[in-house]
Amino acid sequence: MKSIKKVALAAALVLSLAGVAEARDQIRIVGSSTVYPFSSAVAEEFGATNKQFKSPVVESTGSGGGHKLFYAGVGPDTPDVTNSSRRMKVEELETNAKNGVTDVTEAKIGFDGIVIAQNIGNADMDLSLKDLALAVLEEVPVDGKLAPNPYKTWKQLNPALPDRKIVIYGPPATSGTRDAFIEMVVEKFTGKDETFKAVLGKDAASYKKIRQDGPYVPAGENDNLIVQKLTKDTEAVGIFGYSFLAENKDRIKGCTVGGNAPTFDAISSGKYPISRALYFYVKDAHIGKIPGLKEYVDLFMSEKMIGDAGYLKTIGLIPLPAAEREKVRKDVTSLKKLTAEDLK
Amino acid sequence: MTMGSALQMALMAILPLSVLAYMAARRRAGADNARGTEFHSPLVYYGWYSFLWVALPSMGLFVLAGLLHLLRIATVPGPVLAGGGVALAAFGLVWSQRAIGRDFRAIHQVEGVVRWALIGASCISILITIGIVVSVVVEAMQFFRMVNLWDFLTGTKWSPETAFLISTGRADGSVATPEFGSLPLFAGTFYITVVAMLVAVPMGLFAAVYMAEYASQRVRRIAKPALEILAGIPTVVYGFFAAITVSPFIVHLAELVGLEAEYTNALAPGLVMGVMIIPLVSSLSDDVINAVPQAMREGSYALGATTSETIRKVVLPAALPGVVSAVLLAVSRAVGETMIVVMAAGLMPNLTWNPLKSMTTVTVSIVDSLTGDQAFDSPQTLSAFGLGFVLLVLTLVLNVVSLVVIRKFREQYE
Amino acid sequence: MASLFGIDEKKLLHRRRAAETRFRLCAIAALFLAGAFLVFFLFDIGRKGYPAFQQAELLVTVNYTAESHDNPYAAMDADTVQIVSRSFTRLIPSMLAENSRLIGTSQQLWVLASADTDQYMKGRPNRLRPKHQALVDTMRQEGKARLAFNWGFFEAGDSKLPELAGIRAATIGSLYVLLITLAISFPVGVMCAVYLEEFAPDNRLTQVIEVNINNLAAIPSILYGLLGLAIFINFMGVARSSAMVGGLTLSLMTLPAIIISTRAAIRSIPPSIREAALALGATPLQVVWHHVLPLSLPGILTGTIIGLARAMGETAPLLIVGMMAYIPEAPENFSSAATVLPAQIFTWASDSQRAFSERTAAGILVLLVLLLGMNATAIWLRNKYERKW
Repeated sequence: MKSIKKVALAAALVLSLAGVAEARDQIRIVGSSTVYPFSSAVAEEFGATNKQFKSPVVESTGSGGGHKLFYAGVGPDTPDVTNSSRRMKVEELETNAKNGVTDVTEAKIGFDGIVIAQNIGNADMDLSLKDLALAVLEEVPVDGKLAPNPYKTWKQLNPALPDRKIVIYGPPATSGTRDAFIEMVVEKFTGKDETFKAVLGKDAASYKKIRQDGPYVPAGENDNLIVQKLTKDTEAVGIFGYSFLAENKDRIKGCTVGGNAPTFDAISSGKYPISRALYFYVKDAHIGKIPGLKEYVDLFMSEKMIGDAGYLKTIGLIPLPAAEREKVRKDVTSLKKLTAEDLK
Repeated sequence: MTMGSALQMALMAILPLSVLAYMAARRRAGADNARGTEFHSPLVYYGWYSFLWVALPSMGLFVLAGLLHLLRIATVPGPVLAGGGVALAAFGLVWSQRAIGRDFRAIHQVEGVVRWALIGASCISILITIGIVVSVVVEAMQFFRMVNLWDFLTGTKWSPETAFLISTGRADGSVATPEFGSLPLFAGTFYITVVAMLVAVPMGLFAAVYMAEYASQRVRRIAKPALEILAGIPTVVYGFFAAITVSPFIVHLAELVGLEAEYTNALAPGLVMGVMIIPLVSSLSDDVINAVPQAMREGSYALGATTSETIRKVVLPAALPGVVSAVLLAVSRAVGETMIVVMAAGLMPNLTWNPLKSMTTVTVSIVDSLTGDQAFDSPQTLSAFGLGFVLLVLTLVLNVVSLVVIRKFREQYE
Repeated sequence: MASLFGIDEKKLLHRRRAAETRFRLCAIAALFLAGAFLVFFLFDIGRKGYPAFQQAELLVTVNYTAESHDNPYAAMDADTVQIVSRSFTRLIPSMLAENSRLIGTSQQLWVLASADTDQYMKGRPNRLRPKHQALVDTMRQEGKARLAFNWGFFEAGDSKLPELAGIRAATIGSLYVLLITLAISFPVGVMCAVYLEEFAPDNRLTQVIEVNINNLAAIPSILYGLLGLAIFINFMGVARSSAMVGGLTLSLMTLPAIIISTRAAIRSIPPSIREAALALGATPLQVVWHHVLPLSLPGILTGTIIGLARAMGETAPLLIVGMMAYIPEAPENFSSAATVLPAQIFTWASDSQRAFSERTAAGILVLLVLLLGMNATAIWLRNKYERKW
């Protein structure tokens, strides 16, 4: 009897390892930390309402890291979808093709507003793009030349603003949010300012240096902590995505930019100038191989999720205008292939 | 065929076969024994001998095939592998069964194999070190090809951000040149470590002294587990506590005395880290203090010294090398701590003496570089490995010095 | 009293006694401060976390109309549907699809309330609109709203909806990871320790191994994460975010700890035991297997449990190998995606939704209970079975 038990034990042990299977049946999504909350909300919705499929796994690796994992190739050990807070670059698409990922579908899901938030008890502050740029640039125009940023209070750079110390908690250099901020605020200013143009010529529009002498504090990926800081530190402002503002409306409020408050309509219509589009990319080759992938994509593009009365709007995504939404939906659900021309 | 499925197949086929071989051999030896033959070794060893002869050759084949596949030298096709494995197993079965005889020294054969296994297990630790060294050093070397080592160690400006932009080709135009002077990072690490040590060493040492010299059995029974609880709290929890409770508290306190403190000040993670390290200092010191022979204490008491005088003048000096070594180990732990600083310290490198200001450390930069948005080969990601490399060297040096201190200065009593 | 060297002995004695008292007070204060911190810490976390153990539920009337198959929001009163958790509403279409006889009927059910309703009922900041707040108040008075014990916290996995989020998936993930860690590091660690203590000759190789192990014990945990990424994921192709890769990485980290404590346990066995066994004709390995190991087992187990407890609380290396992702379901086997308790806590701490902060603290409480349980078991083992030779 004892020996039979031993054999049975050995067999049972081995069979328990039988799960070390090859074919993957769980959708794997990587990418941007900004799109992550929306992607995981859809993933959960998908898993909860489609019991026959496993819930997708969503990892927040950052847009760059996500693209790198994505273009490694096709196969079950590569991710199926990558989320991105910026458009894929032409070089990345080419690398995809080189590694065997020939068919990629791009899906634009909506907008994310970047807000400048402050403690709710403060007086309202209206900032122009120029004010913001002057507050964060490393060098600013002083008497026709570029000099290290001397401004320590808002009043110094614009007499109409309050006499408050400049303390900005913003995204670190590794964040897509920062890229977007630089593109839409800083570069817009430097590209038009006379002094910059005089000193840098045509490179003025791509000046990206953010000051490192103190007033701008890169505050990490944990936007929750920034919100906490703002509730206690009434001098500071924070730069982060709209969803954090929406979630904490009782503690913080957004500054108006150029007279436009960060509201849904303003961001969606483009009136609020600091917003960017969010995307995800799918490997067409994996559709059909990974169970549920097409259904996930379809669910994401449905009105239920990204529509004007959709679920994602309640957690901070700004929907695309209806016509654009319809077009994108049609393209994505028919798995339109992304080409280099589209990205130019 | 992936490693997983190969391993699975191997186990499923070979393991039951080996068990059967064991049973057969054991039963045969048992039957012979019952008939009166006296065997050299205890009977089980004949069973094990057969087991090993069936299992090891075929497993060895699978492992070899796996290695070849990993190193991309060759990939053995499935059927060949399976056939080879079965053939080897069958051969082993026949061979071992034939060997069973009363004069066969099965126990020595089996124990010889076991000894090799023990040596192998010990060598795994060397493999791990090699692994760590390889994975850190190789990338670090790549980094130091891009950035001068001297500049890295002595530069005072750490601003790698734009390296990311340059590497992804988005730096068209004027972008600040990335600089990799790591001095502010190490300064931050050391500053927070010093704060932690200022908390941990006095409290840990005093606590150890109290428990070793003064405390009654009852107090010791409560205090020791309490300290072990402190040691058992995971660092992420300490980090959460530091960020959510201690930081605001310090800011508030600072306001009360008219000072200005930032939210990611260096004091909060330093204090909490200190508390985390107290059990380490305390238990290591406890061991060395207890190792001082009672005779020395008794001699001191006989001369009329009070307990505190004995401790200060006899026990601690005798235990000093051990205490120093404990402190060095604690420093090494503080330097390498990650979660507390990731959650409570800042991200901006800052060379300052003010503990109420924000600063960042080496470990935070490592995590930041690896979990951010950039490409894997950019200098910024590689900077993580460069920092990791220096961190590795630093902790190793601290560790070795700690061992040397103990070895050279330890007094041998009796 | 005449004094012998011009010293006032009485005064000196007095000073020495005062010094003694001061010293003793300092020592007690140190211990006391440490204890006070522990108490304050546990109290603070407890205070922040205990609300999470209650979850608001509402008694609502659900009308399974044909329309609600496509638009589940039509199944309830327009205002009520806003305060009910989405986790219920979204399941209505599939419920109707499975059981079409429900169409046309209506039920009164206790369902989960939305996170904002839950926070409102607990008296914390929330985003509930005044008219919804009034509705909840009314329902409370009518007994249709209650705070029930939050079983879901222990039964459900992660979710983006705070009212649904639970730690089950993370706990099971932790368990799988721990199993792998144990399976690898225990045999290898004990074997290595046995070799070093019983069989190793005093040569260079042994010294190198010993120095190695001491160094490995002191290496920061994050470097093990880098190792895991470079070797297990990139080189060996183990699935990212799987319990397997987490277990492999943590086992490497736990190995030195187990080796060191096993060596200490083996060393404490007096040589007379070994010599007696040898004298009776045992081989060295038989001595180890039948005498040394069984006697040192309590010490070995203590060290192992403490090592595992440390592994369970580790986060940094697992961040690097990808276990910080949104993984709502418990892993089915060792190579499906898994997350562990500390990583789950870290993820929840970064979520923007307010209701997650109490769940983070509650998760910490659960983790602490588990870890303290493991440590207490180890200490109990040590106290009960330790023999003084």
